Amino acid sequence: MTATPAWSGAFDRGSLEQVVGLPIEDVREWAFGGATGAGVKVAVVDSGVDAEHPRVGGIAGGVAFELDPSAELGYVERDGLHEDLVGHGTACAAIIRALAPEAEIHSVRVLGANLKGRGALLHAGVAWSVEHGMHVANLSLSSKSDAMFGPLHEIADDAYFAGTVLVCAANNLPGPTYPSQYASVISVAARPGDEELALAYNAHPPVEFGARGIDVDVAWADRGSITATGNSFAAPHVSAMVALMRSKHPWLTPLQAKAVLQAASSNSVRG
Amino acid sequence: MTTGPGVDPSLGRCVEATRGLFGAAACSIALVDDDGATLEFVASDGAGAEEIVGVTIPVSRGIAGWAAMSGQPIAVRDVQADARFARDVAESTHYVPTAIYAAPMLDPEGEVLGVLSVLDPVVDESSDWTLNVLGTIAGLIAMVMHATPGSPAEPQPLAQLGSDVLRLVASWQAGEPGRSG
Repeated sequence: MTATPAWSGAFDRGSLEQVVGLPIEDVREWAFGGATGAGVKVAVVDSGVDAEHPRVGGIAGGVAFELDPSAELGYVERDGLHEDLVGHGTACAAIIRALAPEAEIHSVRVLGANLKGRGALLHAGVAWSVEHGMHVANLSLSSKSDAMFGPLHEIADDAYFAGTVLVCAANNLPGPTYPSQYASVISVAARPGDEELALAYNAHPPVEFGARGIDVDVAWADRGSITATGNSFAAPHVSAMVALMRSKHPWLTPLQAKAVLQAASSNSVRG
Repeated sequence: MTTGPGVDPSLGRCVEATRGLFGAAACSIALVDDDGATLEFVASDGAGAEEIVGVTIPVSRGIAGWAAMSGQPIAVRDVQADARFARDVAESTHYVPTAIYAAPMLDPEGEVLGVLSVLDPVVDESSDWTLNVLGTIAGLIAMVMHATPGSPAEPQPLAQLGSDVLRLVASWQAGEPGRSG
């Protein structure tokens, strides 16, 4: 059998190559040591977040985008807290909370009980994150719509220049998915292991980083927990790492944050 | 294998082949309705196949629903720990799985056509290998379906895909006599 596609098999066993990173002294301590995520705003763009889940422990705010054919843009924006329709957004938020306990988590619900208009709602959620000054936005979802390539690319560029780090789950499907494919975002695939801050850099992008995402004990709906596998659960580990480093070093731009993550990867050697 | 009325029977070959590939207890395909609100199981092979075909669930329900909503493959090792696992549906099929792997089936425009689900696959290591393979197969089935949308008169591409996978599984298992499917 041939190797899995480059966009999904980047971190298969034995495929990890050494890369050269910035020569930052004791980079992991510099980036994460003693950090709590305090003062960092993190958007979880997903199915909603159950703020009362014990592994989430409250969130700072929420907004939901819902389809409405009568609205000018085809959807409406509803401010305020809301339920998690499935449990996935709660899983992502709980991972971030566990690693960056003082981060300000905002739930941006773009997934609803209907599959129509997914791309437009995803775009709206990212735009909201940029407009509201989120430092990090976790996107454990993706679109394969060619029609959304341009609009999502444009808003990803806006995020990059505005200082919002977009952390996107790669997809285990053939062909490109957006926005994880763009150079302006941090794309993440799942790797085995129990180390919560484990990180690897892929020498052959577009998938750039590998983080914990296999058999992860995650929060779920109805205040429960499950053991789940997917790139969706790797991305929030990296979102939390970015929150940690930005709470210690608020001046870090998306460009710098990615370079620090690369230098902090286990297969990175100092240049 | 079981397929619903009016459903391309070649989809049955696809789920049969996918179940064989993973050594799974069951495999099924559920398709999204025109309104994007529900998933209907239209083809299944293995445990509970006859019972699950024809069942309709909201897209926000269960592991298959989440794969459809997010567009991301997912694996849950112990669905019984999932409070919202569609237990009543599973019990109605007389087979309650431990693990569910699900991958969205997306057409070339990126719209979700349905979900390919595998129950209790035999995997010999913890890795994302299974999700990579399942996601690829789901994508292939979606592409072939898109090429022959609802055309029972031209089932050859789907049947060929199922036959090819079954042939590969058979040859692979023949090379590993100690392995049961």
